[in-house]
Amino acid sequence: MSNQNKKAKFSLILSRVLAYGVVIFLCVLCLFFFVLLILMSSKSNSQLQGAFTLTWGGHFLENLKNAWTDVSINIPRGMFNSLIVALCSALITTYFSALTAYGVHVYNFKMKNVVFTFIMAIMMIPSQVSAVGFIQLAYKFGLTNKLWLLIVPGIAAPVVFFYMKQYLESVLPIEMVEAARIDGSNEFRIFNEIVLPIMKPAVAVQMIFSFVSSWNNFFMPALLLTKKEYKTVPIMIAQLRSADYSKFDMGKVFMFILLAILPVMIVYTILSKSIIKGVTSGSVKG
Amino acid sequence: MAKGNKHRKSVSYAKWAYIFIAPFFISYIIFTLVPQALTVYNSFFENYQNGLQQIGPNFVGLGNYVKLLTPDKAGTIDFLRYFGNAMGMWIAGAIPQFLIALLLAVLFTSARLNLKGQGIAKTIIYMPNLIMASAFSMLIFALFSNVGPINKWLVASGIIEKSFDFLSYKIPVRTIIAFMNFIMWFGNTTIVLMAGIMGIDQSLFESANIDGANSVHVFFDITLPLLMPILSYALITSLIGGIQMFDVPQVISNGKGTPNMTSTTVIMMLNNYLSTSKNYGMAGALSVMLFIITGILSMFVYRMLAKQYKK
Amino acid sequence: MKKLLVALLAVLMVLSLAACGKKPEPTPDPEPTPAAEEGKVFHIYAWNEEFKGFFEKYYKVPEGIEVVWTIVPNEGTQYQDAVDLALLNQESASADDKVDMFLAEADYILKYTNSPYTQDVRKLGVTDFSNTYQYTVEAASDANGVCKGVSFQCCPAGMIYRRSIAKDVLGTDDPAEVQAAVSSWEKFDNVAKLAHDKGYLMTSSYAEDYRVFSNNTSMPWVDKDNNLQIDPAIQTWMDQAEMYVKEGYTLTSGVWDAETTAEAAKDGKAFCFFGPAWYYNFCMGPAFGDDAVKEGTDSVGDWGLVDGPQAFFWGGTWLLAATGSDNPTMLKDVMNAFINNEEVCENLIKNEAQFTNNQKVNNKYAADPEFGNKYLGGQNDTAVFAEGAKNIKFQNQTIYDQGCNEGIQNYFVEYLKGTVTKEEAMKNFYKALKEKYPAINVPEN
Repeated sequence: MSNQNKKAKFSLILSRVLAYGVVIFLCVLCLFFFVLLILMSSKSNSQLQGAFTLTWGGHFLENLKNAWTDVSINIPRGMFNSLIVALCSALITTYFSALTAYGVHVYNFKMKNVVFTFIMAIMMIPSQVSAVGFIQLAYKFGLTNKLWLLIVPGIAAPVVFFYMKQYLESVLPIEMVEAARIDGSNEFRIFNEIVLPIMKPAVAVQMIFSFVSSWNNFFMPALLLTKKEYKTVPIMIAQLRSADYSKFDMGKVFMFILLAILPVMIVYTILSKSIIKGVTSGSVKG
Repeated sequence: MAKGNKHRKSVSYAKWAYIFIAPFFISYIIFTLVPQALTVYNSFFENYQNGLQQIGPNFVGLGNYVKLLTPDKAGTIDFLRYFGNAMGMWIAGAIPQFLIALLLAVLFTSARLNLKGQGIAKTIIYMPNLIMASAFSMLIFALFSNVGPINKWLVASGIIEKSFDFLSYKIPVRTIIAFMNFIMWFGNTTIVLMAGIMGIDQSLFESANIDGANSVHVFFDITLPLLMPILSYALITSLIGGIQMFDVPQVISNGKGTPNMTSTTVIMMLNNYLSTSKNYGMAGALSVMLFIITGILSMFVYRMLAKQYKK
Repeated sequence: MKKLLVALLAVLMVLSLAACGKKPEPTPDPEPTPAAEEGKVFHIYAWNEEFKGFFEKYYKVPEGIEVVWTIVPNEGTQYQDAVDLALLNQESASADDKVDMFLAEADYILKYTNSPYTQDVRKLGVTDFSNTYQYTVEAASDANGVCKGVSFQCCPAGMIYRRSIAKDVLGTDDPAEVQAAVSSWEKFDNVAKLAHDKGYLMTSSYAEDYRVFSNNTSMPWVDKDNNLQIDPAIQTWMDQAEMYVKEGYTLTSGVWDAETTAEAAKDGKAFCFFGPAWYYNFCMGPAFGDDAVKEGTDSVGDWGLVDGPQAFFWGGTWLLAATGSDNPTMLKDVMNAFINNEEVCENLIKNEAQFTNNQKVNNKYAADPEFGNKYLGGQNDTAVFAEGAKNIKFQNQTIYDQGCNEGIQNYFVEYLKGTVTKEEAMKNFYKALKEKYPAINVPEN
């Protein structure tokens, strides 16, 4: 018996060592690129034009100051705009996708399969051409420089819907919805107060994803937001890269790229805490 | 479970279904329907700009599709070749991406291992996804350039005699692109799968533990089957991302698919059609073709996994 | 389900037909509106803030007019896309949103000048071109010779040679003698061989002198029947690049690659670079950067400037007059200020290191013995450029030039690197071109 215990303990230690080994290796790999970015942002423009070396450039604070005071951009303003767009997008996208997915998943209605198939289909149409069409329509209707135009279309997000639907399929016990109905809750309350909390991990995951993709989005905003006061971070980074020769400074560009990552990391850290274990545990049978 | 409920009277709730899905469709109709429908519509027309001069739209039937699928003198159909390029690079990146993501998701959620420092690890593995693809590519350029640190090290340690131009040869370019896709996306997949595993009813794991099942069995008999819906989501969206692969090969190959168009993807071709001439005709036809292929492949993946799931 | 799809498709068709109804073509060159009715907002499109800086410092905006800038970064085709969209919607735009003036570069300027969306500046009242360089007017003119804009900065370029290497190879670093040694491409090739024999490179990029050839072509990239044609000058460049790479006279890295610019540093081996003033003033970091100087790896002062084998230019910015502008008087005034107002031009040359588009002002500084460039060992570069700029040609433009010039360099280098055959390189070039410009006929492949 004690021999078996020992064996189990040994195997646990071995698995832990292996597990830590794998995780640490991957973390080092990922951190390497981050370190590389930090090194880049410590170099002056002429250092960056020459051969790249894995050394500290010594211009970190200077780049920070130059980027912060560059008159063609306004970093706090850009961060604020990006934050507004990305946060609102994340909230709207995840809430309405969860709502749609719940509607399709829980209820039996005539069009159920058609709706599901249709949403899956539009998810697969390459979006590049329609993005250009969207921009042209926006110009035609004079809808440039409107932040909401980058947010509201997120209500219809097929990919997020698909995820929510799949998540519900694997976690939502129908019994729970029915129990709530017997208690006399109306359907909206059931969704908002019972289902949404169960979906918290899924919502957090998709909020992270849509926040990040909105934060890094360049193509559409660059054409739709042309006024200085509405520009988002990626547009400003592109603007630094587009500067004329007397002001062009890759050191500033890398510095801004580095700065742009920090807010996302904060949002990520907060949201990833919501990806927690065993939300449905126990509540089903109760 | 859900199946058993089908015959219960749930019809009276149908109106709620329509209310719940209404915002999605209203938003879709207002913002996406017209441009998306135009994509399909334009695929049957000659429609582009020559400078600022608009050519067309002139109806050409299936002309654009025929053009897209006509082989050149050497007998290659570029569209299919580029599709093959993207698929090759996707698979090379997706295999490690999914294996590692599955492994990490299991490790992070394992109560038995109870790994410490998870919060930091989860943040770090997600970080490459936060760096924009164009910025990431600049890092790769600096690293692999002829005068970059990798070449310097290889030369200094005597492994090679002269700098090797990594970004000019087929295998290294494709490997670098696949690797970048892997490193940028495995953290993402890990989180998706982790949330999926955490959503599984914990009592199932507890009872398995009491029965003394080993972790391999738990994984294949409980985790994997219950994770199937989420896994199929992850695989299908990754597949779509692979088919539509664009920014990494675009920046790494400077938009030209170095060398000899072996890293050109279909969306890079689409970008050529769209960027300068706004060629809605050809771009539309290409999108529709891609849509059909994506649909067939996704259906295949979905069915395959669903079968697994039912087992 | 089928019925639904059919119905849906029908709806889509109707909607889409409605959406792509015919756009009205703007009426070309309308008569300028009388001054009394002019707008209160002057709207300028640009891709960076360079001109904005000069404008705000040296141009006095008439009272009662607000200047609005739309800056769209030049990433990919974003800037041109934004200008296109604004011009295409110019008619329906509100008075304050209408584009009055926009900036353009030589690579794609013809797209705008050859369209009805830009207007004749002579009709606006910009009539004095006696001091501007001919090529800047050629560049801003449409196929019928109607001038649609002016250039406020002129970028004549030359050959920037390394004095120490010239001494070693040619036995002299005197500009006149160096120029005599490289005054034609045959002589240039001879110097390349001499330099190579001494262990130097002639240039550090296969594409370093591409623009010299592409500026001096005898026919356009695309003929009047839309057939692609390779000019003999481009062919010469391809032969030269092939020979130089084979003989080890140059490298296969691009003009902006670290490998190329590194050759400008102290221990660099390249005999020469090709470029205008902004190139050595701002882009040769390893040679002239502050930290290179601090670390002693710089090559400040070790350079000289000559015309080189052929005259050419690189860069420059043109101001174009948008059709439908509601501020024609101010439009005229701005354009005149940046080519004919001597005070403005003197400020540009003195304070901003620009080579202006006013020959009189440039010549004044060209003759000034005090006026020299420290990177070039005190040589007066304005004097070199003031002569060279007169010989620059800007003819045979097509709207496809940007794609053709970038394409041939990008695809041909794969052959130079040995990863494809010459035929494959050309085939890839043609393919990419056909994807970008459906109107061009390329050789069948």
